[in-house]
Amino acid sequence: MTNADFQILLPEIVLAVFAMAALLFAVYTGKDKTAPMLTWITAAILAALAVWIGWNGEGTNAAFGGMFVDDAFSRFAKVVILIAAAAVLVMGEGYMAKRNLLRFEYPLLIALAAVGMMVMVSAGDLIALYMGLELQSLSLYVVAALRRDSVKSTEAGLKYFVLGALSSGLLLYGASLTYGFAGTTMFTGIVEAAAHDIPLGLLFGLVFILMGLAFKVSAVPFHMWTPDVYEGSPTPVTAFFATAPKMAAMGLFARVVHDAFGGVTADWGQIVALLSVASMFLGAVAAIGQRDIKRLMAYSSIAHMGFALMGLASGTEFGVQAMLIYMAIYVTMNVGTFAFILSMQRDGQAVTDIGALNQYSKTEPLKALAVLVLMFSLAGVPPMVGFFGKFYVLQAAVQADMAWLAVAGVIASVIGAFYYLRIVYFMYFGEETDPLDHAMAPAQWVFLMASAAIMVLGVVNLLGIEGPATAAAAALVN
Amino acid sequence: MVGLEQYLSVAAALLVIGIFGIFLNRKNVIILLMSIELILLAVNINLVAFSSHLGLNDLVGQIFTLFVLTVAAAEAAIGLAILVCFFRNRGTIDVEDVNVMKG
Amino acid sequence: MEITILFAPLVGAIICGFGWKLIGEDAATWVSTGLLFLAMLLAWVVFLGFDGETRQIPIMRFVESGSLSTEWAIRLDRLTAIMLIVVTTVSALVHLYSQGYMANDSQFRTGESYRPRFFAYLSFFTFAMLALVTSDNLVQMFFGWEGVGVASYLLIGFYYRKPTANAAAIKAFVVNRIGDFGFALAIFGLFYLTDSISLDVVFEAAPVLAETQISFLWADWNAANLLAFLLFVGAMGKSAQLFLHTWLPDAMEGPTPVSALIHAATMVTAGVFLVCRMSPLFEFAADAKTIVVYIGAMTAFFAATVGLVQNDIKRVIAYSTCSQLGYMFVAAGVGVYSAAMFHLFTHAFFKAMLFLGAGSVIHAMHHEQDMRNYGALRKKIPLTFWAMMIGTLAITGVGIPLTTIGFAGFLSKDAIIESAWGAHTSAGDFAFWLLVIAAMFTSFYSWRLIFMTFFGERRGDKHTHEHAHESPWTMTVPLGVLAVGSVLAGMVWLSPFFGDHDRVNKFYGVPTHGEVRHAATTGGQGDTVMIGASDSHDDEGDNAAAGDHEGDPAVAGWTPGQGAVFTHPDNHVMDNAHQAPKWVKLSPFIAMAIGFVTAWVFYIGLPGIPGKLAAILRPLYLFLLNKWYFDELYDAIFVRPAKWLGRFLWKRGDGNIIDGFLNGVALGVVPFFTRAAGRLQSGYIFTYALAMVVGVVILVTWVTLAGGSH
Repeated sequence: MTNADFQILLPEIVLAVFAMAALLFAVYTGKDKTAPMLTWITAAILAALAVWIGWNGEGTNAAFGGMFVDDAFSRFAKVVILIAAAAVLVMGEGYMAKRNLLRFEYPLLIALAAVGMMVMVSAGDLIALYMGLELQSLSLYVVAALRRDSVKSTEAGLKYFVLGALSSGLLLYGASLTYGFAGTTMFTGIVEAAAHDIPLGLLFGLVFILMGLAFKVSAVPFHMWTPDVYEGSPTPVTAFFATAPKMAAMGLFARVVHDAFGGVTADWGQIVALLSVASMFLGAVAAIGQRDIKRLMAYSSIAHMGFALMGLASGTEFGVQAMLIYMAIYVTMNVGTFAFILSMQRDGQAVTDIGALNQYSKTEPLKALAVLVLMFSLAGVPPMVGFFGKFYVLQAAVQADMAWLAVAGVIASVIGAFYYLRIVYFMYFGEETDPLDHAMAPAQWVFLMASAAIMVLGVVNLLGIEGPATAAAAALVN
Repeated sequence: MVGLEQYLSVAAALLVIGIFGIFLNRKNVIILLMSIELILLAVNINLVAFSSHLGLNDLVGQIFTLFVLTVAAAEAAIGLAILVCFFRNRGTIDVEDVNVMKG
Repeated sequence: MEITILFAPLVGAIICGFGWKLIGEDAATWVSTGLLFLAMLLAWVVFLGFDGETRQIPIMRFVESGSLSTEWAIRLDRLTAIMLIVVTTVSALVHLYSQGYMANDSQFRTGESYRPRFFAYLSFFTFAMLALVTSDNLVQMFFGWEGVGVASYLLIGFYYRKPTANAAAIKAFVVNRIGDFGFALAIFGLFYLTDSISLDVVFEAAPVLAETQISFLWADWNAANLLAFLLFVGAMGKSAQLFLHTWLPDAMEGPTPVSALIHAATMVTAGVFLVCRMSPLFEFAADAKTIVVYIGAMTAFFAATVGLVQNDIKRVIAYSTCSQLGYMFVAAGVGVYSAAMFHLFTHAFFKAMLFLGAGSVIHAMHHEQDMRNYGALRKKIPLTFWAMMIGTLAITGVGIPLTTIGFAGFLSKDAIIESAWGAHTSAGDFAFWLLVIAAMFTSFYSWRLIFMTFFGERRGDKHTHEHAHESPWTMTVPLGVLAVGSVLAGMVWLSPFFGDHDRVNKFYGVPTHGEVRHAATTGGQGDTVMIGASDSHDDEGDNAAAGDHEGDPAVAGWTPGQGAVFTHPDNHVMDNAHQAPKWVKLSPFIAMAIGFVTAWVFYIGLPGIPGKLAAILRPLYLFLLNKWYFDELYDAIFVRPAKWLGRFLWKRGDGNIIDGFLNGVALGVVPFFTRAAGRLQSGYIFTYALAMVVGVVILVTWVTLAGGSH
């Protein structure tokens, strides 16, 4: 434990110390009155950390004997996580304040969850993995139930907690088996133990760990919590669920399968492929029946996780690169979409029924156009950036001789296009209904338009995201 | 002599009991919390058994166990807090009543 | 400079097509016209200053895929230079002409904007055509090839309110697809065999291809022959050769300037250009060349016969075009590519002029196109009359026999006929006789057109005749320019195109063949223009000797691809043609004279004869009038079965099977699963937990079984 170790861990420490100090500060001063200020400060710190990590990080540094790894891969994931968390905080602030939800714990819990996620994607050891995962999960359980006076919100928190605890229990069980059969909790040790032939105990450990991670990325059949939690949580929290933790879980997923089990690609490759197919199809099929846009986005994120897993399933460096690009695009799209969902209200009341979007283009042509772009991008319609994300993962699957997986992905995306396009249909050709309110918080408007613009402008070399993604994939797979 | 297999068997049994407790129990959410504790205990037994099996110098398993215990305590606290909130809103903590959202 | 030539029309098209709302209709159309004149000027500068050395001017990276690597480059050699002036000159003049012709079009309602669209299409066509002729590789050429196809389609269907115009546009497009398919197959084949689509590589590989067998469809073929044939299929489509010719007469539904530019002077000659461009390949494909000769000769003859009896002034000229293209293919087929290019060059002038003249007549007669309603127009529209006269003199080949003085067509057509004779093959002889007969017919229908239009009595609507008027200067100036070309083009450029071997080689930048140089110097011909049978023994002997021990082109110190055209060392057709006997050289003139006299007798001397003759030979008359029943035949063989198949697939296949299946999936299976997924999502924690546990069990079982297998 030297200075150098702390140096490497500095961003996480800064964020954790800030969260705790702010907690004390708020408790002893104005309590919830400080919440707006804390929200903005937290967002600023998250964004600043993202810039710091993005600019400053270099090479691969291991801290605490390899338990914590800072490399291009973790930096890529951290930047996405931090930016997404900051964006969600900023655009949710108005919504929360209006509904009397803006408690001072909210930004700090988000900050702590971000610390957990940063530890997750940097984990080099099963213990670090578990601690990061739990820090993130415990924070998320609480924010899901943030609206204490709502049945739905508390039910969402309860469901998320019980199932989350079950999944971490199973993951831990897998970790214990892995520890027992590999003789170590370090990923570098595990990868040696599972170099070519994998003992059955280690295989069981692998499956249980993957199951726990699959829960976090909400891959079928470990996805069942997702729609209910998305629906019940306050919308800004849902927006957070749909973005940063997904990136973190995916990052951890990639970290575990490549760093700890990189020698037995074939063994986990088929599991991931199976999860991927099931997620893509269930996400596409089940979303068709949804009228609530938050539930719809839940299934949408399940389907998208299926696609991201397709990149991982290929088990190659290019697959990881494709997954990272896909996740970055996915997070960007979801930030924009949720910025819009946050603004959906009628007479000041939040509305989540997609029927409320009927004839939206008549009253709000520009916003409707932005949503159209986002929906097309989510559906993977070619000129939009979302298409290139899908294209990358499909390419990765084909290159890894998993053409069947790619074919299944294409079919699933065709089915899935239906519900995205239905939203567009409602906006442009739906029947007359009471229009939604015009008002939209400036932050939401900015994020909606920026996200839509990126979906169009990103066609130009994906705004340069390929380079960092390539470096990140190269750092992870070697 | 009690060997590794016996410990692992006990842990596996605890795990299965815990899992069954989660999806067979339809009455009280508190039982769910207990089941989760069982699962974590199974893990702890595993970790400690492996730790002692792998040799005297390998303390990682035992340290891991301490971490798990700590986290489990935090988890239980958060779980109970959420449960209290839920009870205030719904007036019941029956598992069968936790189904406002579905479909 | 070359890049400016290529892109000026594109810039014009873009400005005119998209910018006319900003700068106004007149400004837009004049900008595109002006840019075309700029391109023309530069093209002439390039042509006259060109030294014959092949040059490549890269523009940008084009296609990069696997081993397929291409640049978009301009290949500037003699062929390109010739095509550049042909295309830009005719196009510039047609642009100018269209300023007058399209000024007030009755097909469009007043106030509608159609002129910018027309000029944009014209300029776009010119760009595509220039891209085609300047291409340095086959893919680029194919782009241009399809570009002109699109422009042609758009312009034939320009009068989109006319159902016949739309049908003609579709027909042109579809028939061209057949040819394009052949062209595409040829490109695939060349890429497959040479791993490149660059012209240079393909040319160098030609001798190898000649010894390669390739399996295609049901049999093994000689690669060079097969690929050359497939290329020729592409050329047949674009150049309206027999069996794929049916679209060209119908294409006359387009505005007349379009017919002049696209369907007479430039696009339809792309096929001839293609064969000449690919001469290194054709030279090693004897069988394919024979087919080219037969098809070309038959087209020339067939189209001329049909032209005899047509009454629509534009259709007569259309069939004439078809026929003249046949001539060019014969020349290319016997291996005298230079003569083919010569005729292409002169034909562009006089045929464009005939079309523009016809357009002027039509303009004067208020869009009446039936020649039976013309008559005695020479006083009303004298300038047009004289232009048409010059065009007719040129196309029929008037000149002083056995000299090199005559109108453009006289020299170039005679060059082809002599070349056909000079081939000394059965195909060549066949072509020679058909071409001579076709020359007679050409003369007959051309003079028939003149006599029916400008001489005799007024026929048809009196009112129209009284209002007939000379066209504005924008239309007569192009006629005048083209008239100069029609008179002089042949005489001025005879020697480089069809002079002695040395001169032609120098013109095309081909390294002079050692033996031939020797022969030329011993023959003492120097650079004198040689037409006619001067001291030929010397030459013949040496050439025969050269052919004997110069079988391998490499021995002669040069390879295919150097210079614009390639002639095999064994190919002495041009020399043979120069030494043709006097009767051969006289025969086209005699045929022309017979045609003229007959036409004069029929339509001036004794105007009753044609009617009687048609009555006596009614079956033959109808046969010709109905264009040999080609359209009816295709309708029965291809169109109706295809329509039936289409209807069948639509109603049965699409309607019942695909729609049924997809709707079944979309409206039955997917909603079923949606409902199932909804029911699974019961809202109960224990269901969710059970699903997770079942998932773990499935995964564990699966990896255990799969893990046990290895």
